[in-house]
Amino acid sequence: MRIGILSFAHLHAEGYQAGLRTIPGVELVGFSHENAEEGRHYAAEYGLRWYPRHQELLSEGLDGVVVCSENARHRELVEMAAQAGCAILCEKPIEASLEDAQAMRQACERHGVQFMTAFPMRFAPSVQNIRAQIQQGQLGRVYGVNGINHSEIPRAHRSWFADGELAGGGAVMDHVVHLADLLRWCFGAEVAEVYAEVDNLFYPGEVDVDTAGLLLVALSNGVQASIDCSWSRPTWYPRWGHLKMEIVGERGALVLDAFAQYLTLYARGAPRNPSWVGFGPDPNRGMLEEFVTSIREQRSPSVTWNDGYQALRVALAAYQSAQSKEPVRL
Amino acid sequence: MRVGIVGSGTMGEVHAAGWRSTEAELVGCFSANREQAQRLAGEYGMRVYDDYPALLNDVDIVDICAPTYLHKEMVLGAAAARRHVICEKPMALTVEDAQEMITACEGAGVRLFVAMVVRFFPQYRLARELVAKGQIGRLGVMRLKRVSYLPQKALDNWYADEARSGGMVVDLMIHDFDYARWLGGEVERVFARLNQAADGPGQYAQVILRHKEGPMALIEGGWAYPPGVFRTALDLSGTDGLIEWSSDGQAPVRSFTLTREGGAAAVGLPVSGLAEDPYALELNHAYRAIVNGEPFAVTPQDALEALRIALAAKKSIRTGKPVHL
Repeated sequence: MRIGILSFAHLHAEGYQAGLRTIPGVELVGFSHENAEEGRHYAAEYGLRWYPRHQELLSEGLDGVVVCSENARHRELVEMAAQAGCAILCEKPIEASLEDAQAMRQACERHGVQFMTAFPMRFAPSVQNIRAQIQQGQLGRVYGVNGINHSEIPRAHRSWFADGELAGGGAVMDHVVHLADLLRWCFGAEVAEVYAEVDNLFYPGEVDVDTAGLLLVALSNGVQASIDCSWSRPTWYPRWGHLKMEIVGERGALVLDAFAQYLTLYARGAPRNPSWVGFGPDPNRGMLEEFVTSIREQRSPSVTWNDGYQALRVALAAYQSAQSKEPVRL
Repeated sequence: MRVGIVGSGTMGEVHAAGWRSTEAELVGCFSANREQAQRLAGEYGMRVYDDYPALLNDVDIVDICAPTYLHKEMVLGAAAARRHVICEKPMALTVEDAQEMITACEGAGVRLFVAMVVRFFPQYRLARELVAKGQIGRLGVMRLKRVSYLPQKALDNWYADEARSGGMVVDLMIHDFDYARWLGGEVERVFARLNQAADGPGQYAQVILRHKEGPMALIEGGWAYPPGVFRTALDLSGTDGLIEWSSDGQAPVRSFTLTREGGAAAVGLPVSGLAEDPYALELNHAYRAIVNGEPFAVTPQDALEALRIALAAKKSIRTGKPVHL
């Protein structure tokens, strides 16, 4: 099976190329990237074939592509890939606007290609365990979820994350969708209402996007949940950040710390000191396997366009709520 | 100075132990539960009083550890008798009552100290000092956790009666509302959600505060864990750094012993270090401030403002709308 990566703009492309190469039967044809200097750099770094034009890569007869561009360029690349008849795994958030996301769905339907939104945390065994416990009723009726996906500002990895035009926003756009998706998936419910405080509290004068965000949402089944999406970890924190969920119900609580499996390393001269070095399973691997398997079995993937779209609605509602200072109904 | 305690429940007992570390003379106790009062009095060498005025007559400071709904009347009584007052938190059930208590004590020329004990927990104090020194730059997002179980009472559990305790949001979460305001300044906006058991007191609330000067806070509170489990945490992030602390983490002493069944304390109290009991620190501070005529580290107005935030959270839960203060 021939797979390509459309754009290396998103830092997750680095993990995806490594993951794809470990899946039997997958041939990673190469990646396209329009910035020549960066393209050559990544090609040398990862030993991959670089295509300066997306269409050149798409003309290689691919079965699937992973779209790793800036958020606001997903539509353009997804439409090109759909036209080329490739199945698509698209980085989150699905796009920067609902209109663009809708256009992507239409393109995929028109050309009969499958679309998968990249929500890797669904493939983390710890998350799957928590979901099973919730669905088996271990907690009885659930009152609420304390969701944490706070991190460092990602601009050191890729500067566009803090560029409102290309990213569609800041911390809210970057992180809300992960927990919004896990809430929807764990509870089989939609987010019905969103209240949020959003501001640039951490890098005023340095970036023009939001860097702090606290959401309090209500699901359609009555469960309440908070989402902290802030870029509130300093860049000298031992790791990029956290993904945690504490689920509180009638019969107690379940605590998920998805990246709790790490060693604390104190290495002389290290950029982070100490640093947390993970030894847990890589959720990207399971996600990429599902993408490949869904192509092989010619079926729709387990994470769909609608999952990406619904999560984006939550992030956009957070901006709307912060603006109006009122809860927003979805 | 001579001190008398009102109430002989969990807080009465904790305060009696705390007073022992001060120079005060613990003279007596008055409680609706006479049997319990006698046990407490025996342990601390106090006399049991049959009524409140009699206790007031014999003391310089009265320490009110009675249920919340009785605070106002008792504080007004103490002020009328011109006795200094230590009053457990929450100071009252309404802002109007709290104001009346403050006014009465001021009018009578007596000191009123509200026992906002979290300000005396060493880790909360230290975190605040580090923030005040600018160690984490300008404060951005605060996360505060305080989740426990419904306080247990063999008879008449007034905690479970919102009309008498204010409910979990007022009784438990007031600590973190006060702490957030201490660090983040006055609150501009409050939005809250609460879910509770269909048939019981179990409940869990989440509150977002927005402070006038910019910072925001997520405060989590609950009577939702199995008896005996009490988790607290703080996470303070700023432009130049971060402070993390969680009760899940390190402790100076941990025991892994075979214990008898059903060992949960009636009212969950967070565990502190060993030498510095926050309740003793709090009473020592209040006592010295009264004796020396010095200001309190936490004023009745602070306690009133924390109550105002708690009541705004309750209103937001009721209406589903943010409350602007």
